[in-house]
Amino acid sequence: MEGLGKPQLEQTHVHNVYNIIAGHFSATRYKPWPVVDDFLRGLEKGSVGADVGCGNGKYLGVNPDVFTIGSDRSDKLIDICRERGFEAMVCDNLKLPYRDNCFDFLTSIAVIHHMSSPDRRLMAVNELIRVLRPGGRLLIFVWAFEQEKRSRRRFEEQDVFVPWKMPKNVYLPEGSAAANTTPNTTVEEEGGDVVYQRYYHLFKEGELEEIVGRSEGAIIDMSGYDRDNWYVIVTKA
Amino acid sequence: MLQCHAKSCPQGQSYPLAIRNAELEQLDAEFNADFVTRLMPKLDWAVLRKTAFELGVAELPAEIPTEPTQADLQLIHKVALETRIKEADMVCNGCGHVYPIKDGVPNMLLQDHEI
Ligand SMILES: C[S@@+](CC[C@H](N)C(=O)[O-])C[C@H]1O[C@@H](n2cnc3c(N)ncnc32)[C@H](O)[C@@H]1O
Ligand SMILES: [Zn+2]
Repeated sequence: MEGLGKPQLEQTHVHNVYNIIAGHFSATRYKPWPVVDDFLRGLEKGSVGADVGCGNGKYLGVNPDVFTIGSDRSDKLIDICRERGFEAMVCDNLKLPYRDNCFDFLTSIAVIHHMSSPDRRLMAVNELIRVLRPGGRLLIFVWAFEQEKRSRRRFEEQDVFVPWKMPKNVYLPEGSAAANTTPNTTVEEEGGDVVYQRYYHLFKEGELEEIVGRSEGAIIDMSGYDRDNWYVIVTKA
Repeated sequence: MLQCHAKSCPQGQSYPLAIRNAELEQLDAEFNADFVTRLMPKLDWAVLRKTAFELGVAELPAEIPTEPTQADLQLIHKVALETRIKEADMVCNGCGHVYPIKDGVPNMLLQDHEI
């Protein structure tokens, strides 16, 4: 991790990786998490919102009575959203192209843990709060440093690389991984599988609330832990 | 809803983005009068009207209807929910930055030096 500047670290170990693994990643993402599902179903009919870092769009169709615009930094994942018939665009959470106060609700599910410094995590939250209307609601989920007992992962540090293993023959029929890789992306070959390293900042208890608390206008309504993740529900003042 | 966010963009001119070289696509979305009614106050009427007119989609009334008829709602449904821009350039009136829409997907990313 040393040696790469922050934006470069995210480019190499987040954005490039998601673009490469998009198809495989998408095939593994279909079950909505209950807290997210409840949040979306509880929204007022006709609400307009955005899912920032929407991945393959797994939450875009959960509640047909609201209008949700998907957005993600990965154009390959956004292509998948579009193929599924959702409205989606390519943009960066750190610099959202939306007007101030324009959304009734926002979701940020498993995205802010990919930002590689406290400043960048705060910048991402500030952008979400900026585009939320006063009274609007925001749900943020991030991966927890504290993993449940039954979880197969244990972390020693908060800033880690988490491998994504892709069965080579299924997802890279063209043969070598190098052909599908941009320079700098870490690739290890393990008995035919290709392993990509994704950067994560794992949140400790209280850390998400602390960052959100520093964002002007954010009022935390609720916070909790669910399935190895910390979450907060926020209202804009 | 979309605005220009380049660093050098002059304040106050970053919205709305002008749409050039547009190719449109007609979708089929189920009409839901209740949904459209709730959506209406959230639309920037002046911008929607201007864009719909320039793209030749429809002529919306000058003022947002306070008591919309079924026909009004159907027209809004068509403009806001059934018309999609397939290909276009979105141009900022402030700084001239061009954001492309390709295959229905707007790409709003900036180069590093523009952030
Ligand atoms: C773990 S996935 C979660 C996807 C989806 N929200 C879900 O719950 O399945 C993280 C997503 O965040 C996106 N992402 C990472 N950094 C981003 C940024 N700066 N702006 C927008 N999206 C970003 C990635 O492209 C990826 O789709
Ligand atoms: Zn501009």
